[in-house]
Amino acid sequence: MVEKFNKTPLSRNLRAARARGACMAALGAVFFAVASAAAPTAVSPAAVTPTATAPRALTQPMAAPASAPTVVAGFSYVKSLGGIDEYRLDSNGLTVLLVPDHSAPVVTFQVTYQVGSRNEVTGTTGATHILEHMMFKGSEGFNDPKGNSVKQFLERVGGQFNASTSFDRTNYFATIGRESLEGYIAIEADRMRHLWLREADRQSEMTVVRNEFERGKNDPNNVLLEEVTAAAYVALPYHHPTIGWKSDIEHVPIGQLREFYDTFYWPNNATVTVIGDLDPTATLSLVKKYYGVYPHSPAPIPAIYTEEPAQSGERRVTIKRPGELGTVIIAHKVPNGRDADQSALEMLDAILSSGKNARLYRALVDQGLALNAGAGTDPHHDLSLHTVYAILAPGAAHAQVEKALLAEITKIKTDGVTAAEVARVKQQFIAADAYKRDGTAAIAGEINEWIGVGDWTLYVTFPQKVQQVTPADVQRVAKEYLKDDQSTTGWFIPVPPTAEKGS
Amino acid sequence: MMRQYLLTALLLASGVAAANVADQSHRSQVGGVDLVTYHTDVKDVVVILGSLPAGDAMAEPGNFAIPTLAGMMLDRGTKSLDKFAIAEQLDNVGAEISFSVGTQSLEIRAKCLKKDLPLVIGLIAAELRTPALQVQEFNKARQQFIGALEASAQNTEARAQEAFGRAIFPQGHPNRPHTVSEYEAAAKAATLDDLKAFHAKYYGPAHMTLVVVGDVAAADTETAIGKAFSGWTGGQDYVRPATPALLKSASEVSVPLTDKPSVSVIIGQPTGLRYKDSDALALRVGTAILGSGFTGRLMGIVRDKEGLTYNIGAGMSDDSIVDGRWDISASFAPALLDKGLASTRRELDRLWKDGVTEQELAARKQGLVGGYLVGLSTTAGLANAILTNLQRGYDVNRVEEYPGAVKALTRDQVNAAIKNHLNPSVMVLVKAGSVAATAH
Repeated sequence: MVEKFNKTPLSRNLRAARARGACMAALGAVFFAVASAAAPTAVSPAAVTPTATAPRALTQPMAAPASAPTVVAGFSYVKSLGGIDEYRLDSNGLTVLLVPDHSAPVVTFQVTYQVGSRNEVTGTTGATHILEHMMFKGSEGFNDPKGNSVKQFLERVGGQFNASTSFDRTNYFATIGRESLEGYIAIEADRMRHLWLREADRQSEMTVVRNEFERGKNDPNNVLLEEVTAAAYVALPYHHPTIGWKSDIEHVPIGQLREFYDTFYWPNNATVTVIGDLDPTATLSLVKKYYGVYPHSPAPIPAIYTEEPAQSGERRVTIKRPGELGTVIIAHKVPNGRDADQSALEMLDAILSSGKNARLYRALVDQGLALNAGAGTDPHHDLSLHTVYAILAPGAAHAQVEKALLAEITKIKTDGVTAAEVARVKQQFIAADAYKRDGTAAIAGEINEWIGVGDWTLYVTFPQKVQQVTPADVQRVAKEYLKDDQSTTGWFIPVPPTAEKGS
Repeated sequence: MMRQYLLTALLLASGVAAANVADQSHRSQVGGVDLVTYHTDVKDVVVILGSLPAGDAMAEPGNFAIPTLAGMMLDRGTKSLDKFAIAEQLDNVGAEISFSVGTQSLEIRAKCLKKDLPLVIGLIAAELRTPALQVQEFNKARQQFIGALEASAQNTEARAQEAFGRAIFPQGHPNRPHTVSEYEAAAKAATLDDLKAFHAKYYGPAHMTLVVVGDVAAADTETAIGKAFSGWTGGQDYVRPATPALLKSASEVSVPLTDKPSVSVIIGQPTGLRYKDSDALALRVGTAILGSGFTGRLMGIVRDKEGLTYNIGAGMSDDSIVDGRWDISASFAPALLDKGLASTRRELDRLWKDGVTEQELAARKQGLVGGYLVGLSTTAGLANAILTNLQRGYDVNRVEEYPGAVKALTRDQVNAAIKNHLNPSVMVLVKAGSVAATAH
């Protein structure tokens, strides 16, 4: 209920800054949030209260260092970094991250499973996401008939909660008063291994998910990004959208969902993150009480061994649908989200698209070629996808806009970036670090994405890595990764709609 | 953030006015601006929210694109700084300022580090008081506005909202929206002189509010705002219609848009109520029982049990300053539209005829209060709560009084509010998407 699409881009503060302005914010949402298909959502409880849910831009990690490791029998202390303490539940391999922050009497509890649409194959595309929906249908101990289901419990205590699925991970989370923590842990743990998976529920939920799919298809820019992504990846399962292909959504058997659940929903494939007004000893004890009853998975979690073959020529995609404004996207595959070059790519993207001094704003928006233009990397566990895009201004031509986008990339490859540009972005990261201290939910969201990428410590170290980036690094990554022969370019070409604009 | 902790903790514990927001906040008139400062112990971070009555409702006849265009011009340069210089000053310290124009207000949002508060307040003031308003930038803003309008022309939800607002609010009501075509024509016809005249008439401190929350001291904020806004005059009050909107008969509007796999639907009516009116809170809570969250009846039945939609909910809105609206909004596949509408109508009728149960009311009150308090746990959430309450005509104390007001509601009050202020037999139905064109 916090967000429909909860795929959290890295460096959210910077991306939020880039999206300044109503029009840009809407378009930014299109290009940095579509990869995820979130769980059930509805009208926010804020609709009835005098305040809205806090904007999620102000957030992130604690500055305070972790205190001495907590000793709770059954847990091994792993490490601490940036105020985050990592533990492992010895009996089953569950990873636990504790982030104490006593600024408000609330906690965010989150469990992240290392399973996403990356783990799907033809016929089961979208299964991870459907399973995420099914996780709200009840478990043996907590369900609607008993009056204690996850929805009933969390709405009764005023929790802000949801779940989301992306390419690399699935997460379930709630921000609640600290007194409700045990109740939520009990429910979350129960549905890890005792979920109801009933055919009748699949049938009713299938049409819910299909409507979610249909809503996404209403927006041609969503469709364009899906098609560009599908063209960019040939072998890796990032080829298919997280929400799946429509025929798979409609026909995946309940047995396949059960198999998926029994393969991936185990403690050794999960990370619990607890942030907020918590007592470490008591929290670990609760985690042990409810998750410690489960064994390690009976079989190893399957590894993905597929590798993407090298791309040896430009690829192009065109979408023609009713609409008013065109779009151009130029995508390149870049290294996985843990790679050392990601910080330089982040810097490159900020220089291209952060604020009115960004190069794309000056070259396209300010010149009347585009309503909005930006750049960003959607970091993945395997090869990530970098995109540069523009929404065409009325009257602008696709070829003209594509040429302008490519010209800005070429300038950086040829001439590099300035020290002043790099310094400005670094300062923005420093401010963003302070903004991180306000709120627990967005911290959880960002840690969640780094868990999906494969290394939660990047939540702490990535901003530090950005501070080390030089202008030469930026030029180097632009040359190395943004090659014409390895690009996938998409055009959305609007065709005249038959409906009128309004009476 | 200990003060914020105490506020939230005490409210969580008691649900009544145990913590005195008035004691912890500071409200004053500075430079003609209604200023509220609330210090929290969050380190270095400051959030600024504000509003100024310069929204669409203030537009002169035939010129309703001007308020939005005026808002779009604010960050495009001042008399002394061009837009790139402004952006550079903000980017260099990682600060953000944004403006947006709504029905009644120009909304101001900013975020910065404590040390940069004077800079950010100075820039906000300069952008509001002395925007450059140059013709070249005006033409660019207009082009972007028209582009955004054209983009929205194929958005089913935007088009449904437009049609619904026009169906339930009469000509002259501040909440009545213009069509995309009307906006586009107005934008094309707008002149820079129109915009300058609007700015001169409506931009001023007289009814402006600023809320500053975070690592700030009231004295420092007052000093910065006093310096930045000193000598500024003018401003107009909000627009309030003499009589509230009222529907007399049901109607249906279809907005056909091609190639849309999901239809956006709105069913509803004007309420005739402002947020602060006596029955409004009771109606809000009853509405939440119908359509808020996963356990609201609409989600629980139309989505969860029947599988007819991904998204459905009910709410009240646009009522902070004038009488507002009540609506159910949903999305349905065209093939499931009729079935979805029938289920939605059934639940609406059931609410109206039978009201809510004691059990539902108790659970919803608890959830609303809990969620509200969780929302106060961030600086931005607290700032938003304070500003919203001021816009609704309350004092700052409403932040702590709200939980008690919700808890005090009885089932009879809620059911009476539903019966007295809703009327399913005259509600408007809007469908936008791949549907046949009908309007009757």
